[in-house]
Amino acid sequence: MTDLEDLWNDLPVGKAPTDRILREAHRAAMATEALAAEAARKERSARRRRFLVRPLLTAGVATAVVGAFVAGALVSGGGDAGDHGADSGSGGGDASPAAFQADLHPAKSCDALLKAYVDRALPLVGPRGWRHPRVAIPYPGVLSPGVPLSDDGIRQLSNQRGPQVVHGEVSRGYVAGKDLSADTPRTVRSTDSDTGTNVQEEGVDEPDTVKTDGDLLVRMRADELVVYDVSGARTVRLSSLDLTGIGDPELLLAGDTVVAVGTDDTSSTRHRDGRVQTVSIADPRHPRVTHDVAYDGRIESARQHGDAIRLVVSSGLPELDFAHPDGRLSRSDAREQNRQVVEDSTIDDWLPTMTPADGGTEQAAQQLAGCTSIAVPSDDLALDRVSIVGFDAADPTTVDGIGLAGATNVAYESTDHLYLAATPSTFAPGINLTYCLECYDPGGPLLVAPPTRAAQGTSYLFQFDLDGTRATHVASGEVEGRIPDRWAMDEAGGVLRVAVEPTSETGDFTSIVTLEAKGQDLVEVGRLDGLGRGEDMKSVRWFDGLAILTTYRQVDPLYAVDLTDVTDPSVIGRLKVSGFSDYLHPLGADRLVGIGEGPGPEGGWGAQAGLFDVTDLAHVRRLDVQVYGPGSQALAAQDPRAFTWLPGDRTVLTVVSKWHGTREGWLSIMRLHGGELHNRWLKVEYGDDVDQVRTVPLPDGRVVLVTGEDVRFLSL
Amino acid sequence: MDTENEAAYAEYVEQAWGQLVRAAVFLGAQPHEAEDLAQTTLVRCYTGWDRVRTAENRDAYVYRMLLNCLRDTRRTRWWKSRADADPETVAATVAEDVVDAAEAVAMADAVHRALDCLTKPNRDVVVLRYFVQLSEAQTAEALGIPAGTVKSRLSRSLAQLAANDHLLSISGDPS
Repeated sequence: MTDLEDLWNDLPVGKAPTDRILREAHRAAMATEALAAEAARKERSARRRRFLVRPLLTAGVATAVVGAFVAGALVSGGGDAGDHGADSGSGGGDASPAAFQADLHPAKSCDALLKAYVDRALPLVGPRGWRHPRVAIPYPGVLSPGVPLSDDGIRQLSNQRGPQVVHGEVSRGYVAGKDLSADTPRTVRSTDSDTGTNVQEEGVDEPDTVKTDGDLLVRMRADELVVYDVSGARTVRLSSLDLTGIGDPELLLAGDTVVAVGTDDTSSTRHRDGRVQTVSIADPRHPRVTHDVAYDGRIESARQHGDAIRLVVSSGLPELDFAHPDGRLSRSDAREQNRQVVEDSTIDDWLPTMTPADGGTEQAAQQLAGCTSIAVPSDDLALDRVSIVGFDAADPTTVDGIGLAGATNVAYESTDHLYLAATPSTFAPGINLTYCLECYDPGGPLLVAPPTRAAQGTSYLFQFDLDGTRATHVASGEVEGRIPDRWAMDEAGGVLRVAVEPTSETGDFTSIVTLEAKGQDLVEVGRLDGLGRGEDMKSVRWFDGLAILTTYRQVDPLYAVDLTDVTDPSVIGRLKVSGFSDYLHPLGADRLVGIGEGPGPEGGWGAQAGLFDVTDLAHVRRLDVQVYGPGSQALAAQDPRAFTWLPGDRTVLTVVSKWHGTREGWLSIMRLHGGELHNRWLKVEYGDDVDQVRTVPLPDGRVVLVTGEDVRFLSL
Repeated sequence: MDTENEAAYAEYVEQAWGQLVRAAVFLGAQPHEAEDLAQTTLVRCYTGWDRVRTAENRDAYVYRMLLNCLRDTRRTRWWKSRADADPETVAATVAEDVVDAAEAVAMADAVHRALDCLTKPNRDVVVLRYFVQLSEAQTAEALGIPAGTVKSRLSRSLAQLAANDHLLSISGDPS
């Protein structure tokens, strides 16, 4: 024996983490399929990438980054923030802006804030500047409805799905004729938002490429905003307007104002900084741009309540004048020099800004929030600069903003609250799939986790009260486990319910945790562990007293979880079927549709739609399955906006892509009759434009079919 | 993957784990990195398991994968950031069974120092052929070089190691 041979034999290798490897392997297998599909798609298009909408592939990935900061101050009208959040029980009699409560405190002064930034930034400095430059990872499903919850950084594909369902009186109203006391767990019908978008939360609208008010319809076609009149027997194209300087815009519609949210085409940085333009369609034949605002950070989320628009903007680490090692400058000297650059930075380098460009001339940059409206959270969060910005659709240049000097990566908005979460990005901190995935696409978005200790397995939650355009931080909390995306969060009756995936802090199962604000703390009031042991969470859909959740490994268990007693969530029933559902849509109190994947009759994996009877939650049954064929893909699995439920026609519309030498987009028109899905196909698009296909219901019951080039009525 | 294949895969994971981790360390990785690499390698093998399982040269395939992962990670920033991770994190990442993470690191250091006298291509051959004990053909396959080259590199490397007193007895044919 020799010394090297001894070393070979003695080297401690531990026990094979077989379970973990199997788990990762399953994810990788799915990711590979997803990557292949993505690659094929990419190849077809030289087009630039779609902002944030890009299906979750990246999103899984997406779970990564972003910072949050939260501070409260109003850029405009700062004086009276006083009583917000006063109900949180803290005396709050001091003079600090009441934008923060709980364990988050706004910086006492600009000097204090600068010191906090610099202290946290110094360890991140390397010879070439920031050692962890921001990664191009969108929030999962934020701006766009991404779909799903993902399993891990990778397969964002299937996850996100599950829009929530409606809560409250309104939803109850839909089920007229049923005895729906609050203590009876039931599914509740969910239909498109008033502007024709299938959204997560009733009353909170989300951006899309198409919007309508019932008479006019606006849609983005590349950079062109096109206005149609849809009030007559035929659709009439009225006008169009090129939006310049904004990339991959998506729209919100508030009265006569179209709010386009996208990236700043003129931005020199590679961070996909955000840009917002508003367009008046008061004269629909002559739309005109009314405001144009550029942000110095990426827009991670855009939501609309009435006329109030709210953005979550992540500005990352500031661009400073860093040195690079070269012939004359050694690496260590460069690093020292760069540390000095950070030490010498001023508060202006750090405060996030927006720049209005009215009439084409750029105005002075405005800070989104003042120093004392920016809170410095626990240093368990990676350093970032996140702003919560609210403005009236009529005037995006006047904003209310608060900030958080830490990274968050999930944003969920209910009608009353905004929740930001900093959540670990992958199952096990040590492992990474992620770094090897880079090998497939070295130029693409990296899947790198943020250098946060949150990667240890705990998620941090921040709750904000919303009032018009203002946001006030009211409570904070933690939950062990990973929040895969926004669909995994939901609020009902003041209680936040979260579905978490396993991390190093949890057992190998999915849990549902309920949290309530007690004073300034978001405390856990109930939990249900052990769902889908060893399986991946695929989708969740929430109701007042109920959650429907699916997991997957080899089969797809669908769980019905009773949440009527938030302190004691319990499983009502579960159903195992082949395949899995990525997106669940409640048709009403008795039926649920699941869009997902599964084996076909002759083998051949592909997309499918399942119809479930949820009348008796203890015995959920699958009534019918519509198999879409080998290799097909149901777009709603990744982007719920490709799904529409038309209760009046008892019809579900969903876009399916298939390959016949080229990518073809088909509309699956499924009528429910006698407990069965009766499918009719309509071929509607080819190639990349398949992603643009939308079906938009109008108040009069007609449906507009929007494809790449065309906007017309769909005959059912 | 059906249940039977799944079980075969799990079994292979158990069986291959130790050698993969050792090989990764001998190829230059730190202990915690080695476990990540072994895991990643095995995960990657899952997708092509049918190919892997039936291949006569299964080990060659798996070790080629390991080398690829090692190379890939060296290229990425991720690697760097992991290498910069604070010791607490690193320690936590090492499997619980490891008695003493610091000792593992010290051993890895000793290995790296000992193999430092070899060029990288030679080191690869020594690790796969001599320590992992792949056959000459498998080693050639894994490294993508002719079998003759494996032989010549091996004998040259073993001679070098012997000269450095790291291997006392030289044998071109580990058995």
